[in-house]
Amino acid sequence: MSKAILTDITKCIGCLECVAACKVANELGLDEPHTWQKNDGLSAVNWTSIIQTREGRFVRKQCRHCLEPACASACPVGALHTTATGAVIYDSGKCLGCRYCMMACPYGIPRYDWDSAVPYIRKCILCHEKIKDGQQPACTSVCPTGATIFGERDELIALAHQQIKDNPGKYIDKVWGEHEVGGTSVLYLSDVDLGFLAYQPNLDKIGLPATTSLAMKAVPFAFVGMGAVMYGINWMVRRRMELARPKDDQEESSHG
Amino acid sequence: MDRVQKFKTILWSIVGLATAVGITRFIFGLGVTTNLTDATPWGLWIGFDVMGGVALAAGGFVLTAIFYIFKREEFKPLVRPAVLTAFLGYLAVVGGLMFDLGLPWNIWHMIIYWNPHSPLFEVGWCVMLYTTVLLLEFSPVPLEEFSRYAKIRNFLMKFRFPLVMLGIMLSTLHQSSLGSLFLIMPYKLPPLWYTPILPVQFFISAVALGLMMVSFESLFSHWLYRRKSEGHLIEKLGKIAIWVLGIYLIVKLGDIIIRGQFGQIFAGTRESNLFIIELLISAIIPLAILLTPQLRSQSKWQWISSFMVVFGMVFNRINVGGLTMLSTTGDSYIPSWTEVFISLGVVSAAALAFLFAIERFNIWEARPRDPQADPYTKPIFDGVSHVWLGNPSVAARTRYSLAFVVFFAIGFALMPGDRIYSRGVNQDVALPARGGQVLFIDGNRDNYGVAFDHQGHINRNNGDSSCVLCHHMNMPKDKNSRCSDCHDRMYLASDIFGHDWHAAPNGAKIKCNNCHQPGMQRNKESAKQCRDCHLDLVVPGSTIAFEHTMAPSYVDAMHIACVQCHKRMLPAVADKPMLDKCVTCHHPVPEESITSLPDSRWQPAHGNRVVLPGIMIEEGK
Repeated sequence: MSKAILTDITKCIGCLECVAACKVANELGLDEPHTWQKNDGLSAVNWTSIIQTREGRFVRKQCRHCLEPACASACPVGALHTTATGAVIYDSGKCLGCRYCMMACPYGIPRYDWDSAVPYIRKCILCHEKIKDGQQPACTSVCPTGATIFGERDELIALAHQQIKDNPGKYIDKVWGEHEVGGTSVLYLSDVDLGFLAYQPNLDKIGLPATTSLAMKAVPFAFVGMGAVMYGINWMVRRRMELARPKDDQEESSHG
Repeated sequence: MDRVQKFKTILWSIVGLATAVGITRFIFGLGVTTNLTDATPWGLWIGFDVMGGVALAAGGFVLTAIFYIFKREEFKPLVRPAVLTAFLGYLAVVGGLMFDLGLPWNIWHMIIYWNPHSPLFEVGWCVMLYTTVLLLEFSPVPLEEFSRYAKIRNFLMKFRFPLVMLGIMLSTLHQSSLGSLFLIMPYKLPPLWYTPILPVQFFISAVALGLMMVSFESLFSHWLYRRKSEGHLIEKLGKIAIWVLGIYLIVKLGDIIIRGQFGQIFAGTRESNLFIIELLISAIIPLAILLTPQLRSQSKWQWISSFMVVFGMVFNRINVGGLTMLSTTGDSYIPSWTEVFISLGVVSAAALAFLFAIERFNIWEARPRDPQADPYTKPIFDGVSHVWLGNPSVAARTRYSLAFVVFFAIGFALMPGDRIYSRGVNQDVALPARGGQVLFIDGNRDNYGVAFDHQGHINRNNGDSSCVLCHHMNMPKDKNSRCSDCHDRMYLASDIFGHDWHAAPNGAKIKCNNCHQPGMQRNKESAKQCRDCHLDLVVPGSTIAFEHTMAPSYVDAMHIACVQCHKRMLPAVADKPMLDKCVTCHHPVPEESITSLPDSRWQPAHGNRVVLPGIMIEEGK
């Protein structure tokens, strides 16, 4: 029962209702543009934003809720974790503020309370509590044009492909988020390239946790292996010294 | 002053300045004391303090391996300094991390909350364990001084070999896992650095760096205490380093050739230049020096080669740790001076601890002659203040304390007050609206403004008597002041009162008691309201309340004025149902104007401002 959001870029009119609803639902504070903010509208108190592209389309940016989240795999204490609904949520009680999740995210989503002396990571949590109660997220519930909708991930992907088939030439034949970095729960249909949402335009299908898993699996072997090699070398060196010693010892003792 | 004392005075000054910066960082948070951004969450403190610091401390495990495992007894004089450097290096890493972590008091969470998938989890555990191992490895040295602890010392000495083994094994993991950290960023780290064997490269480079750091540290501390340098040992270390640096070069270049990125090195881009500089300094030039027998035995070239490797390898860590990602993220990051001084302060504190240990314990074969310890030296007379400063040790300590206190104060004086006061909020100045009958309200001139039908609003609201609906307050001797006269910052509230000007002799020259009631505590509550003196300040009939001495930011002021009125009018104006929607005023930018905007990766949808602030929240609650 993995839930998802599908955003149809061609239907968005940039009215910002989703942004406002998100603020109310998550009780986010005043949005003041700080010097450390990236110019995409997201901030510690702004978990979704609308970006106007060069072509004049409105693109809603928010956490992609990867099926294999790099942030959750990177977090040393598991403060970020996936839920059964597909939402990637944050446990502020565990966090120690290393900001490795911000480094790991291929979409550059997690934000930080830079101006607080007790800062936490901030990002969209897919209105996790609402979904659990069978409701839909605040943003999709207020969209006046139906540009952003909520549902089962499989159904939304099928719907998106159906849309592409039914309207030939209207969309680019691709559902953004279906396969990238192992698939995401926030999907996009578009008639313009959305590569700018990530750090690289073309993301691989392999989930990012796989990139470190080999190195992490090698840890016990490296640990034991290094110990064995070092002990082996030490044994050989000692053995060689022992073999070389008797003569010297005899000579020394004869002197003494 | 003696060379040692000069050096220590400088270190104490830096520590003093860094202490002031550190206190500010913990009170006001990371945002205003660093230049870190949402796109560059790791900066100098991770790149240099943590990544570089751990690599610099590699000398400890390399030297113990050479001495205890390979049984190269001739290196004995270098083992204790190396272990001490490693121990202090790790303490410095943990210390530096305390400033960088957002919630440093939660650092122990790694012990109870486990995420074994995370390379950082492994790094954290390795730091904890290895620091403990280093403490146990080093503690017999200070314990020598106290005969009553001989039992503990003997007990620890029994475990010397297992501890050394454990230290080497943990270091192997730790040095390499710092490389594993960046495996999860294939889209951010440029291909010249990103490779699946990053952990292997980190380990090999750490061994090379460890060898050369021990050489550099030996050369430097012997120069400092005017002792004969251990040149023959450093030459031998150099010979070992030839092999390590050679392997490093082969692995690094071979990997780049196999991945088909060799052409990238000479692409002439920013990354390729960084890469060439890094490789030349960290490996190629030092290798050339070390391979020439005449050069590697000379003290001068030992200095040069060891410093180059140390600098080059730390530069490699900084490159991987964020510097080269700036071109991917499109961000610009230059560490603030506060960040630089925290880093320097942590290093200086470690250096002071190193010098302390060298003077008090048997780190070297023979302890350095302590210029302060000689009881027969004459007291020092200070020519400037005409004061006898007592015997040299007291005089030196006075100087260190003075340096610390003076630079502690300077640190606070230099703190960027405007940045701290604004809490990092953009300090753009609001400019007046342009136009005549239709005003284009665009305070920061980003072309995402609101076309306000000024004349239309006047006509609809009964002509001239309606001005006060919006123009709620005027500058002295002015009528209908512009919004931007008082609300003069785009996103920051501005002070329109000027308390100090009212009280200043060359200002309004008003006595305290003229405004504050005598006998009561002088604060806002006990003071007169502005309108009690400035009778014409607030326009009669204005709907906007005015109580405060602070004017809200331009953006807030516009939104409060327009939105509140529009929402009130909503039921009355039946034919305009969208009166309370953002798009009613903020028309989407026409396509032509988008293409005319300066080229950037992100086309700002709304300047920096995305949605109405505050107002909605208040009504939602």
